[in-house]
Amino acid sequence: MIVFPTTLEEAQASKGTIRAGGTELAERRRLPGLGGDLVDLRDTAGLDELRFAADGTLRIGAGHRIANVGSNAEIRAVYPGFAEAVGGLATPQIRAVATMAGNLLQRTRCWYFRAPETGDRCFKRGGNMCSARAGDHLYHACFDLGSCVSVHPSSIGMAMLAYDGLVDVAPGGLRSVSDLLGDGTNASADNALKPGELVTALVLPPPQAGEHSAYFRAISRARSEWPLVEVLVRLVVVDGVIRDAAIAMGGVAPVPLRASVSEAKLLGKAPDAAAFAAAAQAATVGSAPLPMTGYKLELVVGSVLEALERAAERDPVVLPAPVNKLPRTSQETR
Amino acid sequence: MKSTRRGFLRGTVVGATALSTTSCSESLHTEKSTAPQGPPAGEDRVRVDTAVNGQDTTLEVGPDDSALHAVREQLDLTGCKHGCGHGACGACTMQLDGTPVATCLLPATSLHGRKVTTVEGIATGGTLASVQRAFMAEDGLQCGYCTPGFIVESEAFVRRWRAEHGAKEPDRETVAEALSGHLCRCAAYEGIYRAVQGACAGRFDHGPAKAERHDAREKVTGAAKYTVDVKLPGMLHARALHSPHGHAAIKSIDWTAALAIPGVRGIVDLMQGRTSIRHAGQEIVALAAVDETIAAQAVAAVKIEYDVKTPALSIPEARAEGAPAVYPRRKGRKSAPNASEGPLLPEAWDGNVRGPLKFLSKSKGKAVRKLDDARDSGTAVEGTWTTAAQCHTTLEPHAAVAHWPTEDSLVVHLSTQAVRACAEDLAERFGLRHDAVTVLSNYIGAGFGGKGKLESEAIIATELARVCGAPVRYVLERREELMIGGYRPGTQLDLAAAVDDDGELAVVAKSYSNSGVAVGHTVTPLWRMLYPGAPKRLEDIDVVTHTPPGKPFRGPGGPQAYWALEQAVDELAHARGEDPLAMRHRWDPNPARQPLYKWAEGIDAWRNRAKPGADKGRFRRGVGLAFGTWFVFCSPKTRVQVETGPDGIVVSTACQDIGNGTRTVLANAVAEQLGVAASDVTVKVGDSRFVPGPTSAGSRTVSSLVPACVVACDALKEELFDDAKDRLSLRGAVATTRGVEHEGGIVPWSKLAETSPPLSVVGRRPKDKGGYFLPPVGGVAFEKYTSASMQIVEIEVDTRLGKTRAVQTWGGFGVGKLVSPQLARSQAAGGILQAISYTLYEERRLAPGRGYLLTAGLEDYRLMGMGDVPQMHIHFHEEGYENIPQRSAGLGEIVTLAPPAAIGNAMFNAVGWRPKDLPLRPDHVLKGIRG
Ligand SMILES: Cc1cc2nc3c(=O)[nH]c(=O)nc-3n(C[C@H](O)[C@H](O)[C@H](O)COP(=O)(O)OP(=O)(O)OC[C@H]3O[C@@H](n4cnc5c(N)ncnc54)[C@H](O)[C@@H]3O)c2cc1C
Ligand code: FES
Ligand code: FES
Repeated sequence: MIVFPTTLEEAQASKGTIRAGGTELAERRRLPGLGGDLVDLRDTAGLDELRFAADGTLRIGAGHRIANVGSNAEIRAVYPGFAEAVGGLATPQIRAVATMAGNLLQRTRCWYFRAPETGDRCFKRGGNMCSARAGDHLYHACFDLGSCVSVHPSSIGMAMLAYDGLVDVAPGGLRSVSDLLGDGTNASADNALKPGELVTALVLPPPQAGEHSAYFRAISRARSEWPLVEVLVRLVVVDGVIRDAAIAMGGVAPVPLRASVSEAKLLGKAPDAAAFAAAAQAATVGSAPLPMTGYKLELVVGSVLEALERAAERDPVVLPAPVNKLPRTSQETR
Repeated sequence: MKSTRRGFLRGTVVGATALSTTSCSESLHTEKSTAPQGPPAGEDRVRVDTAVNGQDTTLEVGPDDSALHAVREQLDLTGCKHGCGHGACGACTMQLDGTPVATCLLPATSLHGRKVTTVEGIATGGTLASVQRAFMAEDGLQCGYCTPGFIVESEAFVRRWRAEHGAKEPDRETVAEALSGHLCRCAAYEGIYRAVQGACAGRFDHGPAKAERHDAREKVTGAAKYTVDVKLPGMLHARALHSPHGHAAIKSIDWTAALAIPGVRGIVDLMQGRTSIRHAGQEIVALAAVDETIAAQAVAAVKIEYDVKTPALSIPEARAEGAPAVYPRRKGRKSAPNASEGPLLPEAWDGNVRGPLKFLSKSKGKAVRKLDDARDSGTAVEGTWTTAAQCHTTLEPHAAVAHWPTEDSLVVHLSTQAVRACAEDLAERFGLRHDAVTVLSNYIGAGFGGKGKLESEAIIATELARVCGAPVRYVLERREELMIGGYRPGTQLDLAAAVDDDGELAVVAKSYSNSGVAVGHTVTPLWRMLYPGAPKRLEDIDVVTHTPPGKPFRGPGGPQAYWALEQAVDELAHARGEDPLAMRHRWDPNPARQPLYKWAEGIDAWRNRAKPGADKGRFRRGVGLAFGTWFVFCSPKTRVQVETGPDGIVVSTACQDIGNGTRTVLANAVAEQLGVAASDVTVKVGDSRFVPGPTSAGSRTVSSLVPACVVACDALKEELFDDAKDRLSLRGAVATTRGVEHEGGIVPWSKLAETSPPLSVVGRRPKDKGGYFLPPVGGVAFEKYTSASMQIVEIEVDTRLGKTRAVQTWGGFGVGKLVSPQLARSQAAGGILQAISYTLYEERRLAPGRGYLLTAGLEDYRLMGMGDVPQMHIHFHEEGYENIPQRSAGLGEIVTLAPPAAIGNAMFNAVGWRPKDLPLRPDHVLKGIRG
């Protein structure tokens, strides 16, 4: 069965797996036993808003295509780090159809999870073990949080975390992205959304005056590769002193993480090489690499440093203009 | 159960493991379904109203059908291709309301209310788009399988770029970004850059479409039909059940439930009563159904009980004390697949170890003595180098469509490098007359050695077609392709080298090859061929493992051989303080390489390279050099037919064009001989019924075909001359290169060909002057030459993140006369880039302790993309090879042998650390440079 609800209410009332762009689901549904009914959001109204509220808060409809968000000029001016993370993930042909919520709610790319041969042993497929832990985990976590050692796939989730972003869920309303993605200890899930719940929008609080941001992804090729490590940095620099800092990291744990020790180290410092080096080193505090992922710690340090340097080199971000100034982007691919 | 086989039992499935003899509880053969047929009831279909290439269309699709599937199957628009099926390669790209999207993951239902443009819709009203002309002119393609995706994407990019910037040339970074969702396994990236930049700059806005590559137009328009595009009336779809276990015994197989599924037509047991599973991915049963979804469901319904055992997956695991044996019995060993292109030599076995093969040594004792002396004086260089398994990853997977027009004749459409050999082998296997089997392979989405022999896909399709009484299509999924489609065997290379007081080289080396269940992979011939005068003690050892069979891969053994040898030589030069080129020159008698020394010495980046480790910054540059040497082969039995008649000039042979340019080479040869335009020559290949042509492997296509083609043209000219003399009553007629000269002037050959009655001649490949190095074995002759390369690579290492990037490369090749300089350059660039991809990115990884594939898609199995392409300089020296008729040695393989070692040497030059293990992943590099 497949249904194409036209309203949010109808969508919520329909039983089955929600499908947005389908770019993640399509592949997963080819695995044995992962089919079932579909609720396709193709015709569902109310998922494509894009506007700044009076206080500068940005609301991005859940169904917005990733490409449109990454290339949006206003978003790039106000949230450059976010726009870079969004605009650089996957490939152009995927971003053109994949949605913001679909990205947040995609499931892990762990190669054991995705292998038909793994069967249902894997935690995330309803089993009771993690094949990667004792197996080949070259691209897995370096912050071992206990059970499953896969890394969370969502670059947008990682970016939202750096912005203390929120998601609007129907029913239930706003909740923080860290609530949505959980703390990484629930080995059987990649997020805490329950059946019947629907994400309707992603919400970013306004940036601060004097904010600089940058995104960096460590990969082995030039482009189009899942990150080994990815980092988004926000620095608020006032009168030459760092007043606030947020550093989020992806590719390191079953959930995106904040490097809070690094953040604390930066406060009150001048944005210089010494402060950045110390902060980058501190990003591995709390890490617990697996036998094959020790190298990722070095990538964490390098990527945080890289993102800090890039952020500092830039002009501060543009503060959002008040109320609805942002035009709705032409929905080329919707 | 009814056994309906004939022939099938006569051999084991090539590519799958040969199987032990213990009988299964049931006797399993083939079975035809008696379940009710017809389309499955009750499945929900969704109506989709869309417009494709400007035409309003209604599709009926399943909820999970991809847009790609719907368009290809229902509208018969097969231009856009299924490459990976998970968004990574871009072969499936179509425009949705003008924006390129990956359609393999796009639900077909999302096409509702949208405008779709496929590659077939890019040309408007018969006029090619400027990007299409650009790809043709700049040769931005080889096999052409990725090309539709690139064209669809580039067309949108050029449109956007022109709207924003006018006719201005974008830089490479901009193009790389725009095309970052596309992969080309042939690595035609250089030409693609030129094409897209040129189209943006307006260089292809006007004028006729021109191409050196003879079949370029078909490839840029989506008209080229590959095996995966073949659709026959009543065609069924096959899927196989692959073992999830690396090592197991099958206790029972029960397919009753599978056969009862409506739409399933028949099943074939590939175990033939045997029970041993020797590698994950091994095909156990295959079945055919009315569509792919039902076939997949049916495979899932086959019940198999396994007795799962511990596999030995790597060289150390298989060599360990008490390792599980891959072939516990002598009999099984005999059926081990052959990983090489040549015949298998008899060798001794000890557990999982076969060999050593020592006969390529030279003055063994002397080599060992010299090494001992050098060890004593501390001047020996020794180490263990390793290389990872490299999957062929042709963008068109292994594919076959088989049907039986009558009970004793067979037609198989096959994605193969060997139409003729496959037809012969099919005839043997199925007990048919040779002329009753036709193998067709019009367009092939590349091979690289992985499609050189008759393999299981052809046999499965053929067998099922017979059982079901209908045409059967069998195409591997990307996951399956990466698992059993073939790979360059991984190796462990223990090598010691020394230079004595007289400046002479000595080498003692052992190669352990892991070709999985296959044997016969060799490295020692390549070690022997370079610096052939040096004393060498060389051993080749097979270590069989519970992994899929390795296959020949472009320059088999070469990249591995030189990865170790050429790094050791570099280190020796460094330790001795000798110039690495001058030192090699002393040992190098190869005439084909002599002219390249001057060329290399003239390269500034090489001449002015810094001392190893001199660069202390974060980004460190280094330059490295390495040599490669390859055989020069030909197929002496090659024939080429040339005809004139109502279709103009037609040249044909049972060869195939795998993207290497066979069609172009033949057209150019005929054009040159007869003074016609190459585009006016009709080339027919890819059909086993034509006169015998060579397998496209071993770099022998050009050196086999061109001489035969010239002989045919000469014969044709004789006939034309005779005919002209009489028919046109020419006085004082003499044949010249341009045509027939007579008292009244000259009649060009082209004119005579147009007016003569239909003629047909066959040319045979003449022998080399002075004969061959060895009498032909298996239809292949070693010519009395070896080809030569010099490769220089400049890399940049990011010491913060361990990332290595190739910045610039210089490839110098002595391969004789080039029949098509543009395509030769494309081949060389592709071979170099593939080797860089091997060195930096590619690695097959299997689940430890279990053996199934983890790098099962193109996200985890990493191929070089547009953005990874360095600046390339390619130099050919065209002299030499005097004894080969037409003087062309092959070049498909020589170009790919030296880059890994050159990069290894560049790494040493950049950071002072010498890498031993491939690929150079960031974690390896970080570990190396941190010490
Ligand atoms: C080659 C490749 C590379 C990639 N690289 C990256 C990368 O680097 N970083 C990255 O982050 N991603 C990457 N991706 C993943 C890609 O971004 C996701 O496939 C995509 O974002 C999923 O979006 P979708 O709309 O297609 O989701 P779908 O496939 O439709 O859905 C995904 C999941 O989200 C759920 N869902 C969707 N919308 C809602 C909603 N509104 N409410 C509740 N549940 C919902 C679905 O039920 C499903 O479980 C890559 C993908 C590919 C193919
Ligand atoms: S087939 Fe769609 S991206 Fe490879
Ligand atoms: S031409 Fe690109 S894959 Fe062959």
